[in-house]
Amino acid sequence: MSTILECRNIYKFFGGLTALANVDLAVQEGDIYGVIGPNGAGKTTLFNVISGALKPTSGEVFFAGKRITGRESNKICRLGIARTYQLVRPFASLSALENVLVGVSFGREPLLPAEERVTHALSQLDFVGLGEKAEEAAENLTLVEKKRLEIARALATEPKVLLLDEVVSGLTPTEVANLIEIVREIQSRGVTIVMIEHVLKVVMELCRTVMVLHYGSRIACGSPAEVVSDPEVITAYLGTTQPQTGGDGA
Amino acid sequence: MNRNGRRLSALIALAVAGVVLALLPRVAGSYALVWISLLCVYLTLAASYDIVGGYMGYMNLGHSTFFGLGAYGTAILLNHGQPLAVAAAGGMVFTAGFAALVSYPLFRLRGAYFALATFGMISLMKVLSNNLRDLTGGSGGISTPPGDHTIGAYYLSVLIAFATLIVSYRVSRSRFGLALFSIREDEEVARAFGTPTNLYKSLALVISSIPASLIGGTYVWSVTYISPPAVFGLEIALSPIVMAMLGGTGTLLGPLLGAVFLTSCQELLWTKLPYLHLTIYGMIMVLVGLFLPGGLVRTAWFRPELDRLGLGEKISYPDLS
Amino acid sequence: MSVDIIQLLVGGILLGGIYGLAAFGLSISFGVLNILNLAHGEFLMLGSLVSYSAFVLLGINPFVSAVLVIPLFVVFGVGFYLLLLKPVSDKPPHQLLVASILVTLGISLAIEDLTAFFWERPVTGIAYSLPAIELGHVVISSLRLSILLFICVLAVLLQAYLKRTFVGRAIRAITQSREGAKIVGVPIAHISGFTFGLGVALAASAGVFYVTLFTVTPVIGIPLTVKYLCVVVLGGLGSLVGSVVGGLILGLSEVLTAYYFGAEWSPCIAFVLLISILIIRPSGLFGIEG
Repeated sequence: MSTILECRNIYKFFGGLTALANVDLAVQEGDIYGVIGPNGAGKTTLFNVISGALKPTSGEVFFAGKRITGRESNKICRLGIARTYQLVRPFASLSALENVLVGVSFGREPLLPAEERVTHALSQLDFVGLGEKAEEAAENLTLVEKKRLEIARALATEPKVLLLDEVVSGLTPTEVANLIEIVREIQSRGVTIVMIEHVLKVVMELCRTVMVLHYGSRIACGSPAEVVSDPEVITAYLGTTQPQTGGDGA
Repeated sequence: MNRNGRRLSALIALAVAGVVLALLPRVAGSYALVWISLLCVYLTLAASYDIVGGYMGYMNLGHSTFFGLGAYGTAILLNHGQPLAVAAAGGMVFTAGFAALVSYPLFRLRGAYFALATFGMISLMKVLSNNLRDLTGGSGGISTPPGDHTIGAYYLSVLIAFATLIVSYRVSRSRFGLALFSIREDEEVARAFGTPTNLYKSLALVISSIPASLIGGTYVWSVTYISPPAVFGLEIALSPIVMAMLGGTGTLLGPLLGAVFLTSCQELLWTKLPYLHLTIYGMIMVLVGLFLPGGLVRTAWFRPELDRLGLGEKISYPDLS
Repeated sequence: MSVDIIQLLVGGILLGGIYGLAAFGLSISFGVLNILNLAHGEFLMLGSLVSYSAFVLLGINPFVSAVLVIPLFVVFGVGFYLLLLKPVSDKPPHQLLVASILVTLGISLAIEDLTAFFWERPVTGIAYSLPAIELGHVVISSLRLSILLFICVLAVLLQAYLKRTFVGRAIRAITQSREGAKIVGVPIAHISGFTFGLGVALAASAGVFYVTLFTVTPVIGIPLTVKYLCVVVLGGLGSLVGSVVGGLILGLSEVLTAYYFGAEWSPCIAFVLLISILIIRPSGLFGIEG
């Protein structure tokens, strides 16, 4: 298998704050890659850097061998990296269908002919189980439906890499189980997945490789089993060796 | 199917309206024609404003700049002996070029900052039209070759207003329109899903500037005199926007409804009440802002009427192109 | 010639201080409420009219009224907030934007039009300029100097207030992160109302000085609001120092433009400045960060 997505020595500063420090990442094609770490560790910032929403202060991002550092997010999307958002951001007043149509109409290359776009969008909605709600305004959907809608909108761009930002947070166990199935199916279509996740159970179940971020630095990387037994990771999560200051670990 | 039935009734309504408007000059006096021309000026401005303000969600309070530039451009060319078609086309090209040019810095701003900056653009135009005396006649205004153009201006205004509504309709059902909606809802996400937001924002501004400049040209041709306050004043700047808001932005019918409603109110009220017009506009704006953020089209009274007319249907995409 | 220039610069600095003070009012209320008050310029105008009336009718010294208008307009601003802005403040972003622009611009038009209707008609003949205000023995230049001093004192007090008091810290906290402030228990609604009142009062207080130096007419409000926007974009949101610096840049640019190109060009300098900043800093101050 070849490396499809790679980050080298990524640094990102916000003013005096270090959000990412020397982060490396290499994702194999077809893999499900997990990114975990306490709140504020820089996970979402890393996604923003990969997807082009933020420019890294230094460092390089490569996608399928091409250097994509600092390219505009709309171009990166067309190259084949799509994402979802931790706090869902559907286009609130547009219908579910229109939400997905944005992805179909702009996020993929080459462009589908006009008459096929609606069919394609509907099939994405069906895939995530929202076929019935196509005409519903996104703001009227429930949280889990919004999360599914975001996945459908991302899939509509025919991504090679899908970035999932905490897709299961705030969901009930049944909903979580359903989403895990969906993620597996997406993988079986040949899409590489990078997921930020707080729920360790999900990471253990899905991911082959896991990276742990702590205060913007990569402190561990390996199989889920290796990572959770790493003493540094345990310290980062439980804070046993130093008095708690932040107080909001995993 | 139901939608086809609605579409048919809408087409019939349009055809009837077209015939009535075409035959009107044979029966109606010039007063009515002038009134309808003015209504069409407002309607064109309101509907073209809505492409940027309603579809894309950027409140361009300086939309009347395009009206004024079109009017001045046309007037200057008319005075150089050009025929109306050439003069209006010249005004349009100039205005569209201006829109393309200012879109770059203006769209660096968002939300209320954008609204205020575009509003500031009008005062810049007022200063320029006052100060560039050789070109614009300064505060004394500019006169164009005289003549009674009532009927010609009537037909032109109706035509431009109608064309603007069609453009607005086509935009709302297109891929481009979908991008504008997505920019309104969440620009960053729209961009992350492949929309070329900067290009489309500029394009939307240019498209909305064209009808405004053409109707400006028609207006000056018809009234044969304009001055800086007449085309860059507060009333012409704000009434189309208030109309679009009152009717309901982001819909085809909102600006139409708002323009007819408010122009009729003006006709009834202004003659009886010579003062405080701006206060009344202001109060309408406050009331719409507080109680009717979606405008009249989204209230319970108008919903059924729209459904019957077949123009209030949800946008669906059978022919997305 | 050089005396001219010095006079000019002093005028520009003074004007800049007045702009900075009023623009800071706009800046904090935008930072806290997330609503850009398009009626902000009207409050400068109203402050001017109040102090003018106070001077003509009651003989109150402008420096006294500059202090007195502050509590008066805080109350006025809080009322404005409770009646007109609080009802829309919980709407989703796009609706909040539309509603707040309609409400504040509508009020702005109404204030302007009503002022023109009730004010100028009864006092026909008084071209509303205030070389008419003579402060007894004080000569003009020392008047200007004392105004400058007064603005400096006000700015220092304001800065201390924002740094030292609970309300001041709450204002800065909300400006930085609304969500964060809410989580740690800052009473957002109360602070919003007060901040809006304070912003309005600063504009009104600036208006007192404005009227001692310049002609005030009812229509100056909206162009002034555009100038404040320019100052806020120049100086950054929520920073007093930034607002003052931005105000000085604008004030000096205006007087220099008037001197070299003619007074008729100075009204558009704010807009030109605004556009130039946006071209030079393409990301803008409020765009996506790069």
